[in-house]
Amino acid sequence: MRSLLGGLTLVGLAAGLVMGFGIAPREATQGNVQRIMYLHVPSVWVAYLAFAVVLVASIAYLVRRAETADRLAHASAEVGVLFTGLTIATGSIWGKPTWGTWWTWDARLTTVSILFVMYLGYLLLRGMIEDRERGARFAAVLGIVAAFNIPLVHFSVYWWRTLHQPPSLMKPGPGTMPAIIVTSLLVNFAAFTLLYIYFVTRRARVLRLEAEAEA
Amino acid sequence: MMPDNWGFVFAAYGLALVVLVLYWRFLVRRERELTEGRQIAAHGTGLSTPRAGHPTA
Repeated sequence: MRSLLGGLTLVGLAAGLVMGFGIAPREATQGNVQRIMYLHVPSVWVAYLAFAVVLVASIAYLVRRAETADRLAHASAEVGVLFTGLTIATGSIWGKPTWGTWWTWDARLTTVSILFVMYLGYLLLRGMIEDRERGARFAAVLGIVAAFNIPLVHFSVYWWRTLHQPPSLMKPGPGTMPAIIVTSLLVNFAAFTLLYIYFVTRRARVLRLEAEAEA
Repeated sequence: MMPDNWGFVFAAYGLALVVLVLYWRFLVRRERELTEGRQIAAHGTGLSTPRAGHPTA
């Protein structure tokens, strides 16, 4: 099952690269640097998804005290931090030729940095508390509180004047992008979602093995 | 129209590739270590129990 998921993920990522570099045209205004968006936008999608899963799994843990829910939250938070880091790094690399700067304290960039630091803190908190049950409980509370930052990140481009453009895809209503660019993005969304599931499955298994080894 | 800036494109994809492959390797190695550790522990427990007909000191 896991090999099948791994194989599907690889095929998806390969398809995403073919779409992003082979099928999608050179963007008229930005040029080829826009191809970074096929990496940057799916990365932030996975980050949102991962932290939403942390929220649901944390609530489930507090209600049922199921270790599976705790491991899912832990694994998902770690993968979410990884993809948030990638989002920030790839956005910065795109920003230099497009905006003329690697970084600016724009509302979107600032809120996403806060999101990154909050979940990094979540992982550190888990590592700091020796009592596993207590650590899981504290982490679950932080996992719920930190999730309030997700809408703040997403809607920051509407609520404040920002250099960062508003969402082109993750918004209600008809889009303005050409169909081929939307398709390329959607293929990469699917591939990154598979990668997220693959990583979380493996990480949760490692966490279970670690718990068994400690017991 | 902006110049192509392929260097930035390859830097972004290269960085992502390195980070994702390193994380995948970490997961695979950690899982292998823990699985092997569990097998060794199980095997060790088996050996510590004297079997019937096994010569003991």
